Parts: sequence; structure tokens; C-alpha cells
Amino acid sequence: MDELAYSSRMVDWAPLGKLLLVMCLLIVGLITESIVVPMITFVIGILLMAYSTNMKIPLILSLAIGEAILIMIIGSGMISIMGDPNEPALWEGQILWFKIHMTATSFNKAWIIFIRAIAGVTLMLSFASSTPIPHLAQAFRSLHFPSEITELIVLIYRYAFLLLERFLVMIDAAQCRLGYNGSLTAMRSYGGAMAGTFIFSMEMAEKSEAALACRNYNGYFPIYRPPRKMSVMWPIVAIGSAVVLYVFGLYSVGWIDMQQIFAPLFGW
Amino acid sequence: MSDSLLRTEKVTFSYSRKGAKVLDEMDIDIPVGKKTAILGSNGAGKSTLFSVLNALNKPASGKVYYKDAPMSYSHSGKIRMRSEVSILFQNPNEMMFKPYVEQDVAYGPENMKLPKEEVEERVQEALFAVGMEAYRKSPIMKLSYGQRKRVTLAGVLAMRPSVLIMDEPTAGLDPQMAYEVMEIAEQLNSSGVTVIMSSHDTDLVYSWADEIRVLNSSKCVYSGIPEPFYEDYQLVQKAGLLMPSVYRMNRTFANLGKCELEPYPHTQSQLSVKISDRCATDFGVMNVVKVDKDTDIPALLASEGLEGLPIGIYGMSARTARNKTEMSVDFMYNGPENCIRKCLSGEDSVLLCDPIMVDKAVSSADFINGNGYGKIDVRTV
Ligand SMILES: Nc1ncnc2c1ncn2[C@@H]1O[C@H](COP(=O)(O)OP(=O)(O)OP(=O)(O)O)[C@@H](O)[C@H]1O
Ligand SMILES: [Mg+2]
Repeated sequence: MDELAYSSRMVDWAPLGKLLLVMCLLIVGLITESIVVPMITFVIGILLMAYSTNMKIPLILSLAIGEAILIMIIGSGMISIMGDPNEPALWEGQILWFKIHMTATSFNKAWIIFIRAIAGVTLMLSFASSTPIPHLAQAFRSLHFPSEITELIVLIYRYAFLLLERFLVMIDAAQCRLGYNGSLTAMRSYGGAMAGTFIFSMEMAEKSEAALACRNYNGYFPIYRPPRKMSVMWPIVAIGSAVVLYVFGLYSVGWIDMQQIFAPLFGW
Repeated sequence: MSDSLLRTEKVTFSYSRKGAKVLDEMDIDIPVGKKTAILGSNGAGKSTLFSVLNALNKPASGKVYYKDAPMSYSHSGKIRMRSEVSILFQNPNEMMFKPYVEQDVAYGPENMKLPKEEVEERVQEALFAVGMEAYRKSPIMKLSYGQRKRVTLAGVLAMRPSVLIMDEPTAGLDPQMAYEVMEIAEQLNSSGVTVIMSSHDTDLVYSWADEIRVLNSSKCVYSGIPEPFYEDYQLVQKAGLLMPSVYRMNRTFANLGKCELEPYPHTQSQLSVKISDRCATDFGVMNVVKVDKDTDIPALLASEGLEGLPIGIYGMSARTARNKTEMSVDFMYNGPENCIRKCLSGEDSVLLCDPIMVDKAVSSADFINGNGYGKIDVRTV
């Protein structure tokens, strides 16, 4: 992820500015009643991500988004079938001991939640994929977050990569000594790799501590090439776009009625 | 049928899509049954080449051939290839898999589905070969760098591959152990294993390698026997390498008119005898004594009347046999060279030698005897 972030075209943008923009878009998407606004923020998120990764959205990000969408489809599906029993039902039925009662309101509500959610995920990812953790830490620091929390985030993040890297190394080590010769052996090798990852990375963590100490680590990682400071343009653009979207949201309530779009399909 | 075992054809590889090419249309071939050294400066791509040869990395373009067949990247194809071709990583920390020494060494043989006794025997033998038996039960994490290096070497030796790729096996080892590793490589080669090694120890490699391959700026810039490469001073400089000291001294003496350039000596004793004008006949006798695993060395020496002579040791079975006695040995490493040196100073010497290595031991006197620099009698017992 860090590698991805450093190669992003938005890496030079002020992290705080990015964070503010993403937050504003996120919030406005959540508070408006109109489904059009989260759709717009979703598109903005996708565009930002496409720009950030130079139109090549890497597999790992698409997987993350795909997975998030899947989870949200299930979640929204649940919401849509648990409508108010007093309203007229679009679809009624029973699956096992599950009572299904889908109403126009619940259907629309599910959609708006679904779109808000994927918009949120893409926006957050567009931020995460373009902001290396040290930059984020810097942003936190300039917001006067407690330094303990900031450094903790940084350390956890680094340790996660340490583990991941170690795991990949272990897989290679196993391969060279026929670790995948047969499924039973392969299973043992995966187990060994996982155990080994922890054992060996423990050592690495110990060594890194020594390495840090030797180089006068005193509680925070300085940034070699600091990102740009947030200019006044950022809050103007961020808050401005949020206000515009919010106002737009007030007007656009009910522009798109998902239930009516789907009505012909299901004969409601 | 060509005599190349592993061959790359216009292999291009880079670690990331946008990254620089680490191997750029590289053509290289590794002859079967020989000792090949891969040389090159830091970052020249030696380790990367090895990872491609072991199918750990797949080239972006070009082909890799193993035994004249294109490398298979299918699961079973890789397993088949890797059960014959073993690789020793440069960094032992990237190679360790199990937390305890003996477990780690046993990991390869276990994966080969060998019977338990066989695994046990191989672990024992491999740990002995690298001088780490005393650490059998130690946690790997409590070992020093060089010790880890030895353990990982034992791990690949225990797999008894028919092709062994070693990425800087001597880096970080103490000087004696470095010689012992070369001896192990020599022994494996005597028993038919193709050995490929990368190393920055120019001198050690020069006395060992049959052939060299030199990598520079993602290409193979030289392939063949060592001398013509070192002859090309520009090329050596460009590749970021140095001449081996024996080679350089021989060259300097030749420039000074002290001797001819050829034949090229590969060891210090060969060089010394070449430039000393003393075409002596009073060199000592080198007694090459074949020693099996179970030979009673003191008894054998006594029966041959070879007691009291300086003793060198060469090869696995000789080391095993010697380990069973309390006998002291004068040269635990680099046996043939040290024995020859003794002979040059007029003393007789004894080389306890693994039967499989006898030819190699005997031929170490060839340079002197064959070029008229004197006569060292070699007696095989
Ligand atoms: N895992 C990796 N990811 C990206 N680039 C790498 C990786 N490993 C090596 N490289 C790059 O590939 C090039 C060749 O590295 P390689 O390790 O093959 O060199 P080497 O000849 O083995 O050097 P050394 O003598 O230091 O062992 C280097 O420029 C290095 O930066
Ligand atoms: Mg290397």
C-alpha cells in the first residue's frame, strides 16, 4: 500500500487537504436525503482514484472495492426486505424463518445506504491509496492529535508490512525446498510459514528496535521529504463543494426513485 | 545434445512493471558437470538471475531452458525441477523456515518424502559438513549470521541436489569455513553435481572455478574460462571487479621478465614455484591416503609408516573418519594446497583424502610436475 501511495500522482497533494476534501464529500453524502448526491461523490471518488493511480486501478484495490460492494449488497438486501409492516408490500414472502416484507420506502432506503457506503469506501480508498502513512501521521500531528496515538498508528502500520513481507519471504523459502510437494506438505508449509512469520518477525521487531535506538529514535519518525502544506484553496474547495452538493441535494430529493426504475423489471 | 544444463535465451526481467530491467535480454548458459562462478558488482543481477533459474521469478520475456527443455512453470514442473536444482539464498534470514536448527535442515528432505531414518542420516551428515552438529537443537534465532549461513547451507546439502546454485556461500563465513565450503563444492562436483556459485571473493573463486560468467548492467558480458576475461583490463574495471591476486602477480612477474605469462598458476604455491628458478628435485613426497568413513586413520598411517608427517585433510569421508579419533590434523582446510606447500619446502606430507576426491588431490601436483618446475612425487595409498 505504501508503495502504491508513493507512486500515486496525488502524493504531493497536501494530505490534510485531501483528508478534508474526502471528509466533506463523505459527510455531505451521508446527510443529504437525495440519492443523487452520494452518486456524485461516488463518481468523484472513482475519478480521484483513477487519476491517482494513472488510470490503472491495481488489482488489490479493485478487490477491496469488490469485496466492500459485496458486503454492502448483502447489507442493503437485508435492509430492503425488512420494511415497515404497516406499509403496502412490494414483495412478501418467507425464506426459512425469515419474514420478507419489502416496501417502496425500504427499497429506496436500502439503495441510498448502498450508494452512500460505496461512495464512502471509494473516497476513503482514494485517500488511502494516495497518502503514505508518514504523511498521514504528519497530518495528524499538525492537527495536534496526541503523538502517542499517531506513533501507534504508524508503528502498527509498519509492523503489518513487516509481517506481510516476512510471510512472502517464507513462502519463497518453502518453495525452494519443495515445500509444496503434495497437498499435505503444502498445508504444513503454509502453517509453518504463518508460525514462522510471527517468530521471525518478532526477532526483526527486536532488531528494528535496536536499529532505531542506535539512530537516536526519540518518539517520532521525521519525514524525509515532507508533503506540501495545506493551502487556503483546500478548505475553500472542500467546503465549497460540500455546500454546493448539499444545496443540490435539497433540490434533488426524489429525482431518482429506485423503486420506479426497478418497477417494470419486477412488475411492481 | 548440447552440454548446457541451464540456459537463458534473451531473458528480460524487472521487479515491477515500470521498474528498470534487472536482466535485459540476457543470454547465459551453465555447462553440465562443471564449476561455474557468476561474477558481478553489487546489484549486477546475480541473485535475480538465480531466482529466474530456479523459477522463483518468471521472466517478462525470453526463455529459460533446463536440460534443453523450456522451463515449466506448472506446479508439478516446478516441483520436478526443484527436486534436482537446489538454491542457497544469499541471505540466510530469507531461507530459514523452521525455528530450530535440526528442524530447518530436515525440512527439505522431509518435503522430499524420504523415510525418517534417511532424513535423520542426512541431517546428521549435513550438519557435520558445515561444522554445526553442536548446535543441532539450538533455536536458529540465537545463532550468529555466519552460523545461520552454515545452517542454511546444511539445509540444501541435505537435499542432495544434482544441481546446486549457491548465492555468495562464503560471504560472512570465517576464512577457514570459506575454504571448507569450497571443498564441499569441490566434493559435490567430484560426485557429478553441477555447481554454480556467485561470489565476491575473487581469489577463492579463481582457484576453484572452471568457468566464469560476468554480469554487468543487466547483461552477461563475459562467459568462458577466467583468464581471457582478466586479460581485458578495461572489461574487468567496467564490470566493477578486480583481478585475483595470484593472477595479477603472475602478470606482474611476466611483465618484469621473470617468467612467461602462461601457464597460469591458480594458487599461491603454483605461483611461487613458477617464479623460483630452483628447478628442484628435492621436493617432498605427497602421500594421498584414501580414507573411508570407517577407516582407522592412526592404524592405517602406522601400517604405511607415515606417522609424524604433516597431515592435511580433504573431503567428507576423511573428515568423518578423523572425527572418530582424537588425532590432530595440521591442515583442516585447503588440504592439497597446504600439503603441496610442505612438499615444496622439502618435507613429505600426508593428505587424508576422500576416495572420490583422489583425482583432484593428485592433480594438484600436475601444475608443478607437468610444466617442468620440479617433481613432487605423489603416492596414492
Ligand atoms: N525484491 C526486489 N524488488 C525490487 N528490486 C530489486 C529486488 N531485488 C533486487 N532488486 C534490484 O535488482 C537489481 C539486481 O539485484 P540483485 O540482488 O540481483 O544483485 P546482485 O548481483 O545479487 O547484488 P549483490 O552482489 O549485492 O548480491 C538491483 O538493482 C536491485 O535494486
Ligand atoms: Mg546477490
